[in-house]
Amino acid sequence: MRPAVVRSTLARSFDRSLGTILGAGLVLAGLNAALLPLDGPVGHILALFPLVFLAFLGAGLRAWYRRPSNRIGALILFGGFAVWLGSMQNTDVPVLTAVGTIGATLILAVMVHLLHAFPSGRLQGPVSVATVTAGYVTSLVLQAPRYLFDPNGPAPSLVIADLPGAVALGGRTQQFVGAAVMLATAVVLLRRLVRADHPRRKVLAPLFAYGVLAVLFIPLGSLVLGPVFGIPPAIRAGLQLLVLGGIPVAFAYGTLRGGFARTGELEELGTWLGASDGTRPALAQALARTLGDPSLTLSFWVPRRHVFVDERGVPIPTELGPDRAVVVIELEGRTVGAIHYDSLLIGDPELVRTAGQVIAIAVDRERLTAELRESHRALRRSRERLVDAADRERRRIAQNLHDGLQVQLVLLALEAQQLANAPATASAAADRATRLRQGIDAAAADLRQLVSAVMPASLIEGGLGAAVEDLVDRMPVPTTLALDIGERMQAPALESTAYFVTAEALTNAVKHSGASSVSVRLVSEDGWLRIEVCDDGVGGANAGHGIGLRGMTDRIDVLGGYLRIVSEPGDGTRIEAGLPCA
Amino acid sequence: MRVILAEDEVLLRRGLQLVLEDGGFEVVAVTSDATGLEEAVDRHRPELVITDIRMPPTHTDEGLRAALRIREKHTDVAVVVLSQHVQRRYAHELLASSHGKVGYLLKQRIADVDTFLAGLRQVVAGGTALDPDVVAVMVARAKLSDSAVRALTPRQQQVLALMAQGHSNSRIATELFLSEKAVVQHTSRIYDALGLPLGSDSHRRVLAVMRYLSES
Repeated sequence: MRPAVVRSTLARSFDRSLGTILGAGLVLAGLNAALLPLDGPVGHILALFPLVFLAFLGAGLRAWYRRPSNRIGALILFGGFAVWLGSMQNTDVPVLTAVGTIGATLILAVMVHLLHAFPSGRLQGPVSVATVTAGYVTSLVLQAPRYLFDPNGPAPSLVIADLPGAVALGGRTQQFVGAAVMLATAVVLLRRLVRADHPRRKVLAPLFAYGVLAVLFIPLGSLVLGPVFGIPPAIRAGLQLLVLGGIPVAFAYGTLRGGFARTGELEELGTWLGASDGTRPALAQALARTLGDPSLTLSFWVPRRHVFVDERGVPIPTELGPDRAVVVIELEGRTVGAIHYDSLLIGDPELVRTAGQVIAIAVDRERLTAELRESHRALRRSRERLVDAADRERRRIAQNLHDGLQVQLVLLALEAQQLANAPATASAAADRATRLRQGIDAAAADLRQLVSAVMPASLIEGGLGAAVEDLVDRMPVPTTLALDIGERMQAPALESTAYFVTAEALTNAVKHSGASSVSVRLVSEDGWLRIEVCDDGVGGANAGHGIGLRGMTDRIDVLGGYLRIVSEPGDGTRIEAGLPCA
Repeated sequence: MRVILAEDEVLLRRGLQLVLEDGGFEVVAVTSDATGLEEAVDRHRPELVITDIRMPPTHTDEGLRAALRIREKHTDVAVVVLSQHVQRRYAHELLASSHGKVGYLLKQRIADVDTFLAGLRQVVAGGTALDPDVVAVMVARAKLSDSAVRALTPRQQQVLALMAQGHSNSRIATELFLSEKAVVQHTSRIYDALGLPLGSDSHRRVLAVMRYLSES
């Protein structure tokens, strides 16, 4: 279900502003079409100007509407204005021709600006700021000698003196600085491409390539297309306009890449917060939508352990990936969480910080939940370690008895029997030695039972199936066994827990139920090991005489399993346990 | 008689070796793991192999697995498996895999030297030696679920257990202080009661009894 879109008053006024810009733009386009001599010899070429302008207008408005906090949209609109201004050179109205002449190359500077500012719309770093500034100087200031000192130029009304030397010098300076701007731009863009990760590079590389070629092609195209390929000037101009018209489309697409949802305003986020209920797993999602960064993540501060954790309570890595930035959310002077975001997509950390302040209280509330989850996980891990340690200890004891005491009892009994068998031994002593051997054998049998209770040899040697089988074999009442657990299980904790639960359930059936028959079933299905022990005894089992079983519930809990006891008086007892196995 | 011994516990291995040598066996090789055992059997072709179940590297049941492979590969080599604990499953695997020449005993039985050595000789001669403990478990189990076994007299149940252990009639007679004739009478009544096929050689007799006990 799509969440209801909450449009705040501020957002509505934003919509109205964009509408106004659209209206003004359409008027400008009309004006453009009306003033350009479309019925002249190159009219069909000039007719492309209003179309290119409309492309900028449409693409710019769309980008701005979809991502209000991103400045690329505004920049594209500015580019449209520059195109409009440049096209005015071609009108017959002297004032407009003069204005158009002044702004003739402004569009090139705007394109350089777009390349540097992509994708956030903000210039990153002093090199970009300097390069873009130099671009605007080249297009607006260094252009001036062309029309100020050349009476044969496009706008005679602007001429203040006839200085051919100044025109030539200005032209060379403009070419030199312009080339430097393009070189710097190419270096900056290449470095960004190298640093970018693969998916981003797929968007950036074609866009940068197209942008750089367009900036070079529009002023220099005439030099190549005319003399080298013999293409007539009218077609050259048309090609240049088409390349220009592709710019806004490319940048708008690049900005909205991946079909981002329209980003909302902070005020909308606040409204949404107020409207939704207390449980809010979608807080991070709402924030991501508001700031227009789907990769945005929210984390919560756990002061006890000095870590940030995600909403499930899992600590997050402290180091930042490439192009990732972090803003800490504070509430009343203490840290409650952090927002990790894409620094290329969101150029302004202040925006993120402000958004963080809006949701700080909600983050603090979720933080408590995340902290609780974190401590629950820690507790569970520690219980797992305890059970694991207990199992390992049992195995160690069983192994030590197996290798140590049991072997010694064999050797002692052997010694006693050899003494009894020795020809030199008097017959009375031989009898006593034989009885000693038998006594040692009995002790060894007791020890076998003890070892079996600690960690049975059958479990160590043959696994759960063999061990349960042996258990059932030694039952003093008829007991059936259904076993379908496949090969040996890998997790010793799972095997021993399943074994001890079965053993305990069987002990209960023998000791308390007075059952005349018992059935045992162990099945592994759907990632669960299910144990079922039923007897036909007196029933009425309760926690009172199931102390051993209650001890087992701790083990079962740790493994994330369950234990059910159904025991109506007079109706037998049924013990069901389930353990998740991977 | 040429014997190979596989046991990872040094003291026990040494003790067992002495018992065997005193008993007239020739210990041609000793090893402490299952891989070494199989190599030694290939090399020495002994008449008897005695192996522990639990040995390095996994300390689970590699001794038993090696024993089963040896019985399959060398039908003339008798195998006796020793363990600190005996269970029905392994007894079955050993009996099912071969035609006699197998034994499955608790380590503690070594101490009763004469009985132990007699068991070994019984196995080498083509018979079977099953530990009283594992047989007791099976007879007790059969008594719970099978009325025919339950209906046997206590004496007959004793004879049945000794038959399952692999003993001959004369040995059973000695064990129970009976005449061999009395034992024959008991066994034939047991055969009738349980509907067992009459078998001459001792291993077939053990197999028949064991099959009956585990099906019950």
